[in-house]
Amino acid sequence: MSEKKKFYQTDEFRMFMGKYGIGVILIFMIFVIAVMKPRFIYPSNILNVLTQISVNCLIAYGMCLAITTGGIDLSVGPQLALVSVLLGQFIVVRNMNIGLSIILALAATTLFGFINGVLIAKFNMAAFVVTLATQLVIRSIAQIISDGKGMSMASQAFKDIYSGTLIGVPLPIIYMVVISVIMYIVMHWTKFGRYVFAVGGNVNAAIASGVDVFWTKALCYTISGLLAGIAGVIFTSKTGSAQSNIGVAYETDAVAACVLGGTSFAGGISTAPGVLLGAVIIGCIYNGMNFLNIGSYYQYMTKGIIIIFAVLLDMVINKKNR
Amino acid sequence: MKKKVVAALLASVMVMSLTACGSSGSSGGAASAPASEAPASEAPAQSEAAPASEAAAEGEAAADTAASGGDLNGDGKIIVGYISKNTTDVFHATLNGAAEERLDSLVADGTIDEWTGILDGNTDAAKQCDLAQDCINYPCDYVIILPAESTASDPAVTSMADAGIGVIVVNSATDSTDSAAMAFAGSDDVYAGELMGNYVMEHVEGGGTFVHCQGIIGNSAQIQRGEGIANTIEKDSGWTKAADVPCDWDASKAVNTVDDYLAQYGDDLKAVICDNDDMSSAAQAECNAKGREDIVCIGVDGNQGPLQMVKEGTLGATVLQDGAGQVNAGIDAIVASIKGETVEKKIIVPFVLVTPDNVDEYLK
Repeated sequence: MSEKKKFYQTDEFRMFMGKYGIGVILIFMIFVIAVMKPRFIYPSNILNVLTQISVNCLIAYGMCLAITTGGIDLSVGPQLALVSVLLGQFIVVRNMNIGLSIILALAATTLFGFINGVLIAKFNMAAFVVTLATQLVIRSIAQIISDGKGMSMASQAFKDIYSGTLIGVPLPIIYMVVISVIMYIVMHWTKFGRYVFAVGGNVNAAIASGVDVFWTKALCYTISGLLAGIAGVIFTSKTGSAQSNIGVAYETDAVAACVLGGTSFAGGISTAPGVLLGAVIIGCIYNGMNFLNIGSYYQYMTKGIIIIFAVLLDMVINKKNR
Repeated sequence: MKKKVVAALLASVMVMSLTACGSSGSSGGAASAPASEAPASEAPAQSEAAPASEAAAEGEAAADTAASGGDLNGDGKIIVGYISKNTTDVFHATLNGAAEERLDSLVADGTIDEWTGILDGNTDAAKQCDLAQDCINYPCDYVIILPAESTASDPAVTSMADAGIGVIVVNSATDSTDSAAMAFAGSDDVYAGELMGNYVMEHVEGGGTFVHCQGIIGNSAQIQRGEGIANTIEKDSGWTKAADVPCDWDASKAVNTVDDYLAQYGDDLKAVICDNDDMSSAAQAECNAKGREDIVCIGVDGNQGPLQMVKEGTLGATVLQDGAGQVNAGIDAIVASIKGETVEKKIIVPFVLVTPDNVDEYLK
């Protein structure tokens, strides 16, 4: 009798949970909410949730790269604001072509991402401190450019970036899917991706194996800047307004999506699908709590507790597998 | 074995969700079809200049059963959504509290079937746009929204109006509130600014210098209250404005401003006009502490702290923005719409000058 294990003690189950634990949590969550409020899984609401998470998901991919190298990128919120006011300047004030404006605005956030990366990688400064500082600098630049004022982006062509659909699917979901595929390939199929995990896992071993730590880290923050920029374009199109006060505290949801998706703050551990699942969970928490009439005063507490439990569960399961 | 069971379960759930996604084109359309058809009869009334969505449909509404009066999306239930501006600010806590009490009582007496609870807009226009989508999917018949921004929150109002929801904009208007919303309930901030300007002119003999502590630049309340001040005291030849100081609605910044301008103007400084009364009460407290009780400080909102000071006599007056009145006016509009009565398109709730004479009416 002693060799007869309960099903949750078998190796197969642990392997399964180790890989898909967070997905099981998500499905459990969806199931519970849907039983209590069937409209939660109506197709229109599923599309709604996926559209809502697109901004956070893109930011979270960049955040995930930063965290995987052992750092963090706190400058993503102001990056949204920078893109937004630049788009306002280019499209509304200078009447420039929308595509060109977007490329220029993305170039700016990518540059700031690169500056983050250089400061962190070249001078070996703490990522938390560097991005905390550049967060202030970027926010300030956005305010200087916009003079603190909001600007209406009335152009329908620009608004369609967010509100348009492709065969019935809202465009933000398409962007998210495309970038998810790219991020999966970058993180799990390329040399760069392996370098990222190597640098985060054990930086000395990475150096000894000939990994260019500077470029690996710098590129991670550069990508984070670019992704935050793309998120900013979607954000600006969504609200139809270019302003410098947006994106406050957006880094917290991105970090939450990363840790829910199994990204380790110790560095070296993360998966692209995990981040996507994390973002979906965050979206389901927000949307689901509203559907379940959970009072707003309780929502943050609920969110905090779910994150702690999900990560705790993930750690307990994975500890036994490693 | 167990693994297979779990896998099978997983797979079935995935397939279910896939089919749900895949059929979005058709079934999603079908799901939303009643939503767009039901209000169609009332839609002309809503989109045209007619003030009430149901005003023109009154005749038809009489033919309908009483219950379907407010059931705009035809799902058999009347559901009201409430998208707050935030749940942290003192002034908005008053509004949210008033809404909660009133909507709970409407559920209790059966006027509406349910409401969403206070949805937290987090002072974030994008978050409000997300909440608007949540309300559409809930599905709400009426939604009260307190916009965070005049332009950036506008897609929330228009998307809900497009989905056939009766949108009630409360407190401050968005760009297309006039055309898209069923009603707007708010106050005229220019009038509040004028009340402050006139109060200072009446209570300080001979004029002098005043300083204006502003809210966050670009907020409609900041702009319009400033306009009211410009209309009154700034036109008076006896008064000079030392400066407009951006204080971001923040009491501590107002105190710093008072210190700066006291140092600069000394006895010539006679008044401090603030865009809200968190700032004016803090400014007055600072003046009093420095032995300058003669300086008149006044602001807008009617928060409990400043009201308490008016009661104690340490603050001369404050301009009460009747937040609870605004929310209740908005909810009145919904009730009127459900009953098929005419809904006023624009409901202006007056500001009240609170002095020691009438403070007891407003102090809780």
